[in-house]
Formats: sequence, structure tokens, C-alpha cells
Amino acid sequence: MQQITEDGTHINGANGTTNSIQDEDNRRLTDEEFERYSRQVIVPGVGKEGQLRLINSRLLIIGAGGLGCPAAQYVAGAGVGTIGIVDGDVVELSNLHRQVGHSTSRIGMKKVDSLITHLEGLNPLPSYIPHPVHITPQNAADIISQYDLVMDCTDNLATRYLISDVCVLLQKPLVSAASVQKSGQLIVLNCPPTPQGLVEGNCAPCYRCCFKKPPPPSSMMSCGEAGIMGPVVGMMGVAQAGEAIKIIASALHLTSQSDGPDRNLRQPSLLIYTYDLESAVGPYSFRALKMGSRKKNCFACGENSTLTLEGIKSGNPNYDQFCSVPASSRSLPPEERITAAAYHRARERGELPEHILLDTREKEHFSLGKIDGAVNLPFSRFLMKAAAIKRDGSPVDDILPTVSTGVDTPIFVVCRRGLDSQEAVEKLKELGLDNGGQRKIVDIIGGMKAWKEEVDPSFQFI
Amino acid sequence: MTPKPPKGHFNVLYFASAGSYTTKNVEALPAPLPLRKLFDTLEERYKGIRASVLNHSLVTINLAYVDVPDGEQQDGEAAEQEIIIQEGDEVAIIPPVSSG
Repeated sequence: MQQITEDGTHINGANGTTNSIQDEDNRRLTDEEFERYSRQVIVPGVGKEGQLRLINSRLLIIGAGGLGCPAAQYVAGAGVGTIGIVDGDVVELSNLHRQVGHSTSRIGMKKVDSLITHLEGLNPLPSYIPHPVHITPQNAADIISQYDLVMDCTDNLATRYLISDVCVLLQKPLVSAASVQKSGQLIVLNCPPTPQGLVEGNCAPCYRCCFKKPPPPSSMMSCGEAGIMGPVVGMMGVAQAGEAIKIIASALHLTSQSDGPDRNLRQPSLLIYTYDLESAVGPYSFRALKMGSRKKNCFACGENSTLTLEGIKSGNPNYDQFCSVPASSRSLPPEERITAAAYHRARERGELPEHILLDTREKEHFSLGKIDGAVNLPFSRFLMKAAAIKRDGSPVDDILPTVSTGVDTPIFVVCRRGLDSQEAVEKLKELGLDNGGQRKIVDIIGGMKAWKEEVDPSFQFI
Repeated sequence: MTPKPPKGHFNVLYFASAGSYTTKNVEALPAPLPLRKLFDTLEERYKGIRASVLNHSLVTINLAYVDVPDGEQQDGEAAEQEIIIQEGDEVAIIPPVSSG
């Protein structure tokens, strides 16, 4: 097989794994391999056979971030012989609290190069293949086809569906993990791999069998928006490496494994990790959920699937469209909106009457900085209160912070980027807090992001 | 550990965005409840949760995946094998998590 790489500079000579040895599946371990891997080789279930399978396998890690870094460290340490890494980003300072394969001195470097530098220090024996690109419908099949097993360490849903679809078509097992804020998920998909359309017996599910429809983008927050705890995503990446090592060492990644041990993975399970900083009662929990097998009507792997590699390459299905719902066309009338700059100017000139300034960001965001006089009412809490008022008629005033003001004191609402605030304005009116139009309720356009851009560049916006 | 549901109830666990939407990790609801009525019951309590969370979430009962019947594809067979959530069961709402 041809090794295709965008940049060959990182491919090592791979001492001890030269191809000149006749029977790669049953050779003696080199002294260095023996020494380096001895502690795992003697673990029940690995043995020399398992170790050689690791050395002779080709594994692809897509995403060199919070999942990919810890995952890569452990598969490299375990001696997986060829490790490809796909990522088009460069290392940023805000990555480093969790992306432990990079370093402060490598900020600005391509993530694939930075991570490979780290991995080479850990274990120089494997061949590391950099793919310094974003995975796309156009390049996905070409890259994935070079490997035996894929680890999805990416950070967005459209890419997750794409990777799963291509893995179904190329019959590659997929170890998929994800993590945001305080929770993580891990699932082994498509393993052992079976041809698309085969639904007899208990075939392994794909990502679409588990999550048929993507959530609306508004409800999906990225790590940049929702935040992420290093140990949470790290735990998921490490567990992901554990699954990949297990699959390879047991030869479950091979399609033709008629004699492979028929165990564990027949019943796929989804691991859920929840970590809670705020509750002393439940500091963390792990749950392993039994998943179903391949779905008969699955869009990708089911019996009438029309999904093809050619189709994917030419834009069918359209992943971006599939994962994005038309942006909510919120249109408050102009008199209920004000730009951050105009609000600031009016305040400075004393043109604004006494008013309430509600900041609907979560309290952690609020704690990092606010507009003078702003009162925090986190949006999630706001929605809860609004629902309670509607449901059991709690007093409407409950929703406003306890500021002694008149019933006609205007309300200005600001959020992070200007969406929640518009919804809040609508909800407040719905609840009748505008006194039939007597009281002005106004959205600050573009939220604190706009405040930073238009008014205070030193504001620490996240 | 999750508290045991009171008599005549089952627990619902809310993961990821389901937890943010309800601002709860767990709550007890009256049992028995047919699985097909679960989303309606939750929608009643948390307006909008169906569209924002439930429609794309997977659901488990006692740690095992279940197919939630949706109105579109109800046939006789499905009705016969209707799943009823029983007292003491643990139901989980699991939306996909996508970041990494």
C-alpha cells in the first residue's frame, strides 16, 4: 500500500518495525520493543500476539485537541505502529489547559506537528503521519482509507456524521468520544465492521443509529462557548485510547476475523461521564448504557441506504446543512433595540432615564466582567422562572431582580452575543412586564461581544 | 448516587443539554407511564424541550437503549409491544455531545 502524506518530514525510520521481517504477525519482539512494552504485554489478553497487532496496525486520530492529545499519547505509548493525525488548526493559548500534547513554546505551530513532536519524545518507534488539514467530505475517504481504525476526536457534529458515514462505507471501526463542559460520551461504533445494508444478526451500529437527528445548533455549544474541564475531556480521550488498543490487540478491527474472540463488543455500550463542580452529593458518575444494534432504516448503514463515497465527495448529503437549522429569524422592532455604542453614548451623556440593566449570561461569564450597574439573571434561570410563572402563576415580578424600581422603569437586556437577550425581551413582554407598552424593554444588539468591539476593547470577553 | 425514586415514581436523569434545559440532573415522575407519553410529559413541564433536546436525544430505561415511538411510524406491532416505564425504573435522556 502506498503511503500518502502531505508532509513526509515526520515519518520515522521506525526502528524495530522494519518490513524486512518475513512474518510480521509472528516475529520476535526486538529488544527495545520488549523492554518498552513489557508491562502491557504481560497483561492478560495482550501477549506477544496482541503487541504485534498493535505494532502492525494503522490508526487514524481525527482531531488533535482535548480528546486527541490524551488519546494519542496512550496509543503512541502502547506502540501502535502507524499513527495518522488530522487537524488543520494551530495551537492557541486557550487550548493548553486541556490539550496536553502541545506546549506553551509551540503556540502558533500546526497542531499535528506540535502533537507529533510530543509523541516522538514519548515513543520514537511508531510512524507518525501528519495530515495538517480539516477533514472534509472531499478528503475524508482518501485519508480514512489508509488506516485500519479511526478515532473521532473532533469538535463538531457535522464532522461526526461525516466520519461515521465514511467509516460505514469503508468498513472501518470507529471509536467516537465527545465532551463538553462537564460531561463526556464514548462509544465504539461499526465494530466489528460489516458491509453497508447488512441488517441480519446483530451488526454494530453507526453514529446515525444512535443519534439519528442532529440537535438544533442553538442548543449545541462548543467548548469555546460552554467551556470544558481538562480532566473531563482528558478522561474521555484516555478511555478512547483504551478502547482502540483493546480492539486492535484483540483483532476486532479486522473484517475477516472469523476466528476473532467474539466478546464484549457484540453489545455496544455508550459510556457517559458526568462531573459536577457544584454538587457535593454527586461529584461524578459513570454510566455504561447498553446500545441497540444497527438500525434497519438507518440512513447510512441500513438496508435501503443510498449513501455512497462518490455522493459524499460531491456534496450529498450536505453535512453543514444537515446540522444547521435556519437561524431563528428573530426580529424585534427597531425601537426595542439599541446598539452597544448607542447605549453607552446615551448613558455617558445622561440621556438615559433610571433603568434596569439585565445581563443574562451565566454567572461565570458575569463574574469575569460586566457593564457598570448590570444585574445578573442567567438565561437558564430566567427561562425556568418564566416557565414557572406560566405554569403555576407565580408572581410575574419574581423574574426581575429585587431592585426597587417603579413599574415603568425601562429594562435593558444584554447577553453574550445578542440572541438570548432578544428572546428575553420577547418573554418579558409575553409575561406582561411591559405594562401594555408603558414600559420600554430594550435589547442591546450583539451583547457583550459588541460591547467589547464598540465600547471597551479591554473587556475580557469569552 | 442518585436518590431512589419515591413510591409510585420513576427517576429521569438529564444529561448534558437536557440537564441545562431542566436545570436538574434527576427528578422523579409518576409511574407507570407508557414510553410513548414520556416526551409529552416532559414537554408539559419544560416547554420547548422536545424541539431543543428530546427529538435528537437517545433514551435508555434501566441502562438499556429504547426506541421511543414517534407518531409517524406507529404500526400494530409497535402498539402490541408497548413499553411501559415502571415504578422504580431509571430513565435517561441523553443528547449527543459534540465538542472535544
